[in-house]
Amino acid sequence: MARRYTPLWLLGVPLLFFAAFFLAPLSVVAVASLTQAAGGLTFANYAHILADRYHWDVIAVTFRIGLATTAICILLGYPLAWYLVRIVQWPWWRRVCVIVLVVPLFTSNIVRSFGWMVMLGRNGMVNDALMGVGVIDRPMRFLGTELGILIGMVYVLLPFVVLAVGNALARVDPACEQASSDLGASPAATFLHVTFPLTLPGVVAGAIMVFTLAVSAYVTPALLSGGRISVLSMLIFQQYSSVFDFHYGGALSIVLLVFTLIMVAAAGRIGVPAGSAR
Amino acid sequence: MIVRWLVRLVAWALLIYLVLPLVVIMGASFTTTPYLTFPPQGWTLDWYRQMLADASYVSAFVTSSLLAMAATLIAVLMTVPAALALARYDFPGKAAMSALLMSPLVLPHIVLGAALLQFGGYFGLTRSFLALLIGHTVIVAPFVLRSTFALLSPEQRALEEASSDLGAHPLQTFFLVTLPQIRAGIVTGSIFAFISSWINVELSIFNTTADLNTIPVKLFNYVQYTIDPTIAAVSGATIVVAVLAIVILDLTVGLDMLSERK
Repeated sequence: MARRYTPLWLLGVPLLFFAAFFLAPLSVVAVASLTQAAGGLTFANYAHILADRYHWDVIAVTFRIGLATTAICILLGYPLAWYLVRIVQWPWWRRVCVIVLVVPLFTSNIVRSFGWMVMLGRNGMVNDALMGVGVIDRPMRFLGTELGILIGMVYVLLPFVVLAVGNALARVDPACEQASSDLGASPAATFLHVTFPLTLPGVVAGAIMVFTLAVSAYVTPALLSGGRISVLSMLIFQQYSSVFDFHYGGALSIVLLVFTLIMVAAAGRIGVPAGSAR
Repeated sequence: MIVRWLVRLVAWALLIYLVLPLVVIMGASFTTTPYLTFPPQGWTLDWYRQMLADASYVSAFVTSSLLAMAATLIAVLMTVPAALALARYDFPGKAAMSALLMSPLVLPHIVLGAALLQFGGYFGLTRSFLALLIGHTVIVAPFVLRSTFALLSPEQRALEEASSDLGAHPLQTFFLVTLPQIRAGIVTGSIFAFISSWINVELSIFNTTADLNTIPVKLFNYVQYTIDPTIAAVSGATIVVAVLAIVILDLTVGLDMLSERK
């Protein structure tokens, strides 16, 4: 009989802590988003956001950057993961590569974005290099453009995809690929029909991680936008730190939360392999 | 063969892309010029000296370190038992409880930061070390929970039952039988927890003041207005901390996460 209560003892403290400092604060935000300073239940805050062109533009920029970051991270991260798992021969070199991959993860977004601020500036290394090669003849504007934000975001989030895909790739049973090629499949067909589907869960896990981090990122867009581009998280921060409109800020927070959860749920569906029972 | 070389080229280019900004910052922090430049002109440690002479940087380093250590410690004490409960017992509402404890991973931190600010405002729980600590504990807990849970397998039950059949107290069983098997998960989770607290801006920014600041928030506020080599030196110091953490991780549990499983 005593045994039945054990999970409660073990889980009690963390659940209480999360109820008090996670659920309760979020409920406060949800409630604030549905009320106004004068009191009374209202959808005015949401109407204000959804009826306004400017907000749709910000939402569009936020999710465009999020989707583009995710797509580029996967397109680039997959080959890098492949290289690390399948091509690298010497264990010490793989070790160095993994450290190179993980060090940025362990470094603050500011430090990393700051590095790009220096390199993407008018007289930064990137412009120098592009002009040196002759691709452009005048310095290009990166800071304050979506391209600049995208370069910084991909940089910050790429390691997540590489680790997720690399992990999945390392688990693929070589016998499956062997069987495919023994049965006459070309390497491309083996990759498309055997290897890629087996790594799909890793790809989806990495994509969800990158997407949620990209749409909620604050530091990187704030530093690389130069004040010219706004994303949702920047609007939210403004409302809470300088405008002090908790009702409107709350509605913005809930909008970001809901859009993110919808995207995550949609990606979760792709992750289920076709034909599997689940 | 051509594809193989293409993959190689892409991979090398990406590895350079990943290291370059860090190398630039480290390099720029040694320059003797009063502005940031890379490659550095000359070679000096003055900017590091200046950082250490500035009491506000030193106190921010102390705050960040204490905060990250305390949040990690509390997260371990709370989530290791939780992981045990989730792995060893079946009870109603289990899926919902584990989803709740993991959800800070997908929740935008800026939303949680704003929520805690507004909520804490009702109790005067804002702009204090405790307010920072509570928020950081919430966001780092899932890292420890996830990596500890991953190492708890059903096969360990037999050993635990043997231990209790032989008369060990449940706590003895935990410390002598279970803990050694999940230690690596706790260490990995703790390091990820420590680091995600150590680099957090989105949550801390709502609760920091001029006197109570963390390194990332201080850097963030500074970088938006001024850029000089002191910033590079402070950044360089945080990169050194990151590399140290990784070396510790590599030496204790091994970082070889990408080798093909035999």
